[in-house]
Amino acid sequence: MENIDTVTVDYSPITGQPNCYVVRFTDSEKVLSVPLDEENRHYQEILEWVAEGNTITDNGGGE
Amino acid sequence: MSYIGNKPTAVPLTSADLEDNIISTAKIQDNAVTAAKYVEAPSFRNLIINGDMSIAQRGTSFTCSNSTGSKYTLDRFQYIDVDTPDSVYTITPSTDVPTGQGFAKSLKVDVATADASLDANDGTQIQQSIEAQNLQHLKIGTSSAESLTLSFWVKSNKTGTYVVRLLQPDSSSRMVSFAYTISSASTWEKKTISIPADTSGNINNDNGSGLNITWWLSAGSSYTSGSLASTWQAYSNGDSAVGQVNLADNTANEWYITGVQLEVGTSASDFEFLPYDVNYQRCARYFYRQDYNTNGSSLPVTHNYGTGNSYGVIFTPVMMRARPTLAYSSASHFLMLYGGSQGAPNQLVREGGNGFAQEFRVDRTGLTAGQSAWTRLDNASATFDLDSEL
Repeated sequence: MENIDTVTVDYSPITGQPNCYVVRFTDSEKVLSVPLDEENRHYQEILEWVAEGNTITDNGGGE
Repeated sequence: MSYIGNKPTAVPLTSADLEDNIISTAKIQDNAVTAAKYVEAPSFRNLIINGDMSIAQRGTSFTCSNSTGSKYTLDRFQYIDVDTPDSVYTITPSTDVPTGQGFAKSLKVDVATADASLDANDGTQIQQSIEAQNLQHLKIGTSSAESLTLSFWVKSNKTGTYVVRLLQPDSSSRMVSFAYTISSASTWEKKTISIPADTSGNINNDNGSGLNITWWLSAGSSYTSGSLASTWQAYSNGDSAVGQVNLADNTANEWYITGVQLEVGTSASDFEFLPYDVNYQRCARYFYRQDYNTNGSSLPVTHNYGTGNSYGVIFTPVMMRARPTLAYSSASHFLMLYGGSQGAPNQLVREGGNGFAQEFRVDRTGLTAGQSAWTRLDNASATFDLDSEL
């Protein structure tokens, strides 16, 4: 994934628990929601993005 | 006593007794060979998915550069940039195919921006990763490991040496590389590569990547400085792509490939054509797209859990490899209809699910809990993807 703008934790309204990462980009309106699962390649890429010094936005649960 | 060659006719012949091509079809009487006397090539022998390039769910043209990063193009075939190459490619499904072979599509790589002077660490590749649990019958890492044969049709105006590499991610990227030569410019050529059995590697029995098949398009000196790894060996950058031409050195260059087949054994059988629906379903394990134009224009009806969200389930054509990413083109490409009102959703989000059933959520304010809602793909550019690629 190139040109990531933000990665935000999404909380499930049902469980109140972190559900997925929502990824938005600087160069398109495309949006990804990525399961918190190491078998998912986008999840692995987000971990690499964080390792490069970027930060995942976590606004906490609740609507 | 009569003889066939130097063997009495009463003694069964083996393949070793027959000189290659010594018996022509004309010499065999009709119906003389019964089913008991020949071995059919096994079905689903091709370990490559979409080797005939017939499935391209993601679109019809892909711009590939270091600013777009590695990306999937035709189904299951990924463009990879290594480090930061300056080249830009346009990758498309093409109808340019080898004559008389039965193929309708090929994968075309066209150089849009040249990179005539590669940095040492730069490289570009086309790759397919094969799911590990589909490779257990290769018995990699045992004394019974199987030999493989890779065959494909290729064409380029740029002649010379190219390299294809096989790599085992579960075995510290153990690898083997082979050179193939494009001899005649702009002419389809079939290449067949014999891959020795690997009695020392490892492929886990899981849903991860078991084997990466990589066709190099360009390779900086970091990947060409050693000796080509012609037998399975530990990973080495320098032994990966020795001799590889630089396809990206001129915008006039293009490279085509189709009919990719990887199979057990020491010889290449005819390409195994699958019905379109079977080929599609094999691809859909890794990527499923619903768009405005072809697959219908509606998501399943959802149920409003609260005043700001509505839940639904999509049942995919086949069990997906792993929990997929949900990707959509833009919230403004969708229209949510609810309680006599309508408008674009705020966002679509993946919730739970695995296998066949993928749960999703559509967020919008002003919903009434307990009611139903309906979300349509409402723009010609609208896409809704589930992606569990390797």
